[in-house]
Amino acid sequence: MEKETWIERCGDAELIEPIAVVGSPGLKSIGKLVMDSLITKTDATKIADLYSIHMPSIYETKPSYAADPTLLGTGGVIIESGEADFPKVQFYACSNPSLIITKGYHANFEGQYEVAIKVLDFLAENHVKRIIVAAGYGSKDKKICCAATSKELVAEMKEKYSIDIGYKGPFMGFSGLVFGLSKLKSMEALCLFAGTEPMENDLEFPDKEASDRALDTLNKILGITK
Amino acid sequence: MSVEIKILKEFTSNQLVLVCGLPGTAYIGKLSVDYLIQQLKAELVGEVYSKYFPPFVVIREDGLVELLRNELHQFKDESGRTIVFLAGNAQAFSPEGQYEIADAVLDWAINNGVQRVYSVAAYITERPFEAPNVFCTTTTLALLEEAKAHGAHLLDNGVIGGENGIITGLAKKKNKEAVCLLAETHGYQAPTGEYVIDPRAAKAALKVLTSMLNLKVDMEPMEKQVVQMDEAIAKLVEIERRIREEMAGSGKSKKPAYVT
Repeated sequence: MEKETWIERCGDAELIEPIAVVGSPGLKSIGKLVMDSLITKTDATKIADLYSIHMPSIYETKPSYAADPTLLGTGGVIIESGEADFPKVQFYACSNPSLIITKGYHANFEGQYEVAIKVLDFLAENHVKRIIVAAGYGSKDKKICCAATSKELVAEMKEKYSIDIGYKGPFMGFSGLVFGLSKLKSMEALCLFAGTEPMENDLEFPDKEASDRALDTLNKILGITK
Repeated sequence: MSVEIKILKEFTSNQLVLVCGLPGTAYIGKLSVDYLIQQLKAELVGEVYSKYFPPFVVIREDGLVELLRNELHQFKDESGRTIVFLAGNAQAFSPEGQYEIADAVLDWAINNGVQRVYSVAAYITERPFEAPNVFCTTTTLALLEEAKAHGAHLLDNGVIGGENGIITGLAKKKNKEAVCLLAETHGYQAPTGEYVIDPRAAKAALKVLTSMLNLKVDMEPMEKQVVQMDEAIAKLVEIERRIREEMAGSGKSKKPAYVT
């Protein structure tokens, strides 16, 4: 194939200094649930899809975000509402507040960096300077903690929203790499981690309560009141 | 982004020497080079990023996110010579990635007039020893004699896996002097399969390395680490011995649960 990872635009939106919000089906699917709720809440419209030959339609790893160089998955299409399409990262936009909502998808071991970089290039082209990632972390505490690309941003979260740091360790998958690589692309990024108790046999089993907590915090930061 | 070397400040060098110690078996290379960076207060001058590093990031204790990366730390000695240490929190996983990263770093060093490349790695052995030997492989016979004069032994046969080995091989292909020092280790693994750090081996490697580089470094903190690790390994060995005994014991007392 000519391109391994590519973007297809399917809509436009007038955005002024948009903030990008990013989530993917990671631990307890918190990031995905937050993005789905936010898209509905803001009436955001689809502006682009990102495809990659490194995105399996069937994962061999469980959870899907635990990339393994020997388990690259199987390519294919995913059928939704009777329509077949390749696995994709989806970009939605709304103008008030000015947001690009990014519904992530985990590439396999070979493509995770490439997909994250392409996502960040797209966000940079759309004048994004700040990214907010929503994800889960394993904890009995039902709280929200944060991590960021700078000490200043960590301090801002504590000062303005009383959100403290609280998780340390690896952050795997689509959202982790978008978060980490943002600094290389001169964007600042913040991650909101919602505490959730992992289920050993199904780490991606949805935790609606934890995602609602993350969404509430996100709404406060974004000034969404409706 | 196959490999991106991000230089953080203007870099000038004189008689540049590159010293590589990336994480590998028993973390001997990493321990040695990280120790020198700390003791010599070498300055971070560059960062190496690559899509070939394992695909995850690390959230640090202070809440900041960190990509997996290699780092270039600079030290200028009294004679004005520049030593750059290649360190980091990861190695590329695949051979393709290991070649690409080692090649990019080496080309950067060559463009900055590198005179010689050192790397530090592990030599896994089952041979019981009081003090680990340090073996070496070099790109020239003169360098071999020099390394031997500083206490290293010729490595006759063997494999040096990962970037610490590849950079030595690539240096030879690019007509640059290189030596890889390999400290003996038993490569003790924790029950999880992860290698336990071996500061005793790192200390042995450092003795040869600092002698070859003519560097004076306080080794007392490393000595303390050796004692602490000896104690930790003794505890791990004791735990494993007890588990083995218990498993053997429970096997004896149990009646067979099947017939054949």
